[in-house]
Amino acid sequence: MKPVIVMADMLTPYGKGTEACWQGLLAGKSAISRVDRFKTAAFHSDHAGIVSGLAYHRGVSLVMQMLQILFEGALFPKDAKLLLATTKGEIDLLEQSMLEKQGDGTEAIVTRLVKKVAGLAGVNDEGLVLSAACTSSAAAAAQAAAMIRNRHADCVLVVASDSVTEFIYSGFSSLMALDREPARPFDKHRAGLNVGEAAAYALLMSEERAVRENRAVLGTLAGWGLSDDANHMTGPSRESEGLILAIRKALTSADARSEEVGFIAAHGTGTLYNDQMEMRAFRMVFQNSERPVYSIKGGIGHTMGAAGLVETLIALRALGERIVPPTVNLSEPDDDARRWVSSRQQAPGPGAFALVTNAGFSGVNTALVLER
Amino acid sequence: MIAVLGIGWLTPEGYGCIRSELQHTYEAGEGAHTLPAKDIFSHPFKNFGRLDRISRMTAFGVSLALQDAGIEYSPLQKQDMGIVGTNREGSLQSDREYFRDYLAGGRTLSRGNLFIYTLPSSPLGEAAIHFGLLGPVLYVASEENALAAVLDTAGEMLLANEATVMLAGKAEADEAIFFVLENDPGKDRSTLCDLATAKALLEKNTPVSGLAQKFMGLTTKRG
Repeated sequence: MKPVIVMADMLTPYGKGTEACWQGLLAGKSAISRVDRFKTAAFHSDHAGIVSGLAYHRGVSLVMQMLQILFEGALFPKDAKLLLATTKGEIDLLEQSMLEKQGDGTEAIVTRLVKKVAGLAGVNDEGLVLSAACTSSAAAAAQAAAMIRNRHADCVLVVASDSVTEFIYSGFSSLMALDREPARPFDKHRAGLNVGEAAAYALLMSEERAVRENRAVLGTLAGWGLSDDANHMTGPSRESEGLILAIRKALTSADARSEEVGFIAAHGTGTLYNDQMEMRAFRMVFQNSERPVYSIKGGIGHTMGAAGLVETLIALRALGERIVPPTVNLSEPDDDARRWVSSRQQAPGPGAFALVTNAGFSGVNTALVLER
Repeated sequence: MIAVLGIGWLTPEGYGCIRSELQHTYEAGEGAHTLPAKDIFSHPFKNFGRLDRISRMTAFGVSLALQDAGIEYSPLQKQDMGIVGTNREGSLQSDREYFRDYLAGGRTLSRGNLFIYTLPSSPLGEAAIHFGLLGPVLYVASEENALAAVLDTAGEMLLANEATVMLAGKAEADEAIFFVLENDPGKDRSTLCDLATAKALLEKNTPVSGLAQKFMGLTTKRG
């Protein structure tokens, strides 16, 4: 059965809705701002992609606040299977517990979060949490598609969210991964990433059910590939072989040829090593045949477990509009990315497919192939 | 048909392999914390002492499972295998340790080597590096039968050709169990049972010692 996406939305630092994020990116505006949620003086940066209006350490986690806003007015089928993708879930509850020396922090366990999300979404399924570092939601989308293609489900709700907290910010700072300025993916002068927060969902159905229910189809998750570098916990492989493997698996899974990929929504964190690794992979897979590549992380930051799903939904929009969004904050493309990335909108290549790539700690990689 | 090629397990009392009927009971004072890595791993495990407890138990469980399945490994000869794992609390212990250390340092500096274990998938990532696993690496959690969900997830991945062989299991601080799964193994592969049979034996909250007993029963029945 063919897995299609019939309903989707997001909450990002640009505001609620895919439209807000899409328009922000097209305008080349960055939604990255200075952090006032906690003190940043000791860290390597004070920038992040923050969703405005959220209350920190006030009893309800940032992730649940974002999901409450996101789900407002959304009606999901009660029989949908639920997959929740996150890296740190309600880690702010653990912070609060330890700072106030109250409780044992077990309220931050992710299985508790998925029960709340199931209740909020109104689905009967107890749900599963899936976590694979910063590929979490791309991996969850792939798993949802596998369940549908293998005829083990005909309706799967993928929900993804992660938030900007002192815990996460201090950690990325300790790894010297943060840019002092808004992140500049694929730029010659890039200096790291900005963490960001977001929530997103996508409802996947079998094409048969979507037709039966007369659903509008946003796009097809035509293929996917997951891999690991098996090389290093925090750094990507310098040979890019893990991401190359994931892309080739995804193309095979989609029964697509590399020349049929019209553009690439890259992970593009803004760190030196990630962006180099990705460009090497693209050059290998596409045999140096240039096609538009972009990253949205200069606009919203690195939204960690939510990144893959947010980027998939923006790529679907790009497929539909036949516009490749600019890479926000790009001023001078690095040598290896020149003629692939642009600070301006581009037209996609002739292929019917879009490729979405993500990578994360412990060398995980995902590649999704989308078709409108 | 998805088949179980082997199972490795560790409990507070000992460790073993199901198909090869290996069972070692600890002497007084022994435990997983005293296990010499060289007795379990067929290759030196780089920085094993740096790993958190869940990562160590994951690595031990995976090594025993591969041994039971008759699959040799080398960190230098990577293979088309993936790993899916679970546990009760995710990375909660490592989260507490990281944040406690950060607070003790006056909320200014934190330690990257503690931060990397604050992802629930990190123990699986460490296993992928040591065992050379090139396939999917995914943490799965559920308040229901998490081990069954892990086997289902690995099964979906095999059916979708995401890897030739999948490791699936759980690791806690004091116990671990990992299964080696393959879709339609060739006739030359010896198997323990099919995935459906294995899942039927997985009742929620059964300790690993109980699961090991149940699966050892399969080898007895097989004769």
